Amino acid sequence: MRGLPGTFAASLAILLVGLVALFAATEGGSGFTTETLRRSAVAQAPAPVPDFGVTDAHGQRQALHALLAGAPGAAGRVWIVDFVYTRCSTVCLSLGTVFQQLQQRIVEQGLQDRVGLLSLSFDPANDDAQALAAYAQRMRAQPGVWQFASLQQPADRRRLLDSFGIMVVPAPLGEFEHNAALHVVTPDARLVRILGLEDSTAALALAQGLAQERHAADTTP
Amino acid sequence: MMARRSALAAMAAQATGPRRQAQLLGASAGLASAAALCLSLPPLRRLIEQSMVWHMLVQMPLLLLAGCLFGRMLAQRPAGALARSAASLNRYGLSGFMLAQCVAAYWMVPAMIDRAVVLPTADAAKLGSLWLAGVALHGAFRQAPAAVQVFFVGYALPMMGWLGYYLASTDLRLCNAYALESQVRAGWGLVLLAAVAGLAWALALQRRLAHDSPG
Repeated sequence: MRGLPGTFAASLAILLVGLVALFAATEGGSGFTTETLRRSAVAQAPAPVPDFGVTDAHGQRQALHALLAGAPGAAGRVWIVDFVYTRCSTVCLSLGTVFQQLQQRIVEQGLQDRVGLLSLSFDPANDDAQALAAYAQRMRAQPGVWQFASLQQPADRRRLLDSFGIMVVPAPLGEFEHNAALHVVTPDARLVRILGLEDSTAALALAQGLAQERHAADTTP
Repeated sequence: MMARRSALAAMAAQATGPRRQAQLLGASAGLASAAALCLSLPPLRRLIEQSMVWHMLVQMPLLLLAGCLFGRMLAQRPAGALARSAASLNRYGLSGFMLAQCVAAYWMVPAMIDRAVVLPTADAAKLGSLWLAGVALHGAFRQAPAAVQVFFVGYALPMMGWLGYYLASTDLRLCNAYALESQVRAGWGLVLLAAVAGLAWALALQRRLAHDSPG
């Protein structure tokens, strides 16, 4: 019968395997929640946003990529994207407040042509153009700065949420809870960074910086 | 007909004592395993998808319990070569505690809880590893002297209680898969479970010490 050395070796091996598994699963201990892991994954490697058919608050139907790219030939705007459903009365309200502040700063700094705000609805069954328009009005959104869009095909909802890493869960009183964040998306439909609501200043600075790079690249040749 | 009935009676008579106990243990281990597995399959899967309480406070402990019962059933049989070599690598229950500790720590990470809800492969890994941790835990408690038990239990249960309190008191939603309200309830549940498990362990240990000491 082997004695303690065998047991110590076995325990040590188990501990090592456990630590390696934990290390791998948390990206080297960089995040213990899905949200931090999602953010660091995007920061390391921008994720392409798939294309969907969307309807905006004016009822205009277009492709999401076309909306993000803006007018043909122009350098386009860098977008700060959030996810909402217009019946929301909880977390979307704080998102709404953050977006209102961002809107104000964009207007004050004259960045309308460089940075845009986009609220995407994950409730296409309820959020038609009318609902979006009413919501936009309630948020006092300025059409040139802050846009709203909902999916044309409710069946696309899952794919849209998965592509951004958004999880929507039912909450009491018929509400939804979801991981709320600011998603910085380039005109060529790449999700480059995800920031918390408290980091709106950093999100705007990042979007502005990216837009400046694109405009500089656009005018050099 | 008569012959068959007497044969049955003879079988029933045989099945008393240790063998009957092993059968009972086997049945309850199987039942607990099946119940835990059912929670991962539709239609009951909705429960663990929507409630952190069902996931962390029902299914996970049930898996540990199922493993424990299975381990206890194995322990009643004459030890085979495999059991003997496993026991020799598990002196004082050290390896068993280490395994259970690692598995439990892994599945207490919020991102892993999310993953088990979303990914079937992760969920399967959770079922297998927690069940195995239960088997290991049973072996560990059987072999560990009081001092080793105090060391591991004294670390694991306060950690669990602290995690529970954190889940219950923070404004941060730690799992993307669950509503904050569900997290708060699961948090208080973990605190309660840690307290109850601590009490049960202390009583069992006291009984064993009283039994072991001469006189």
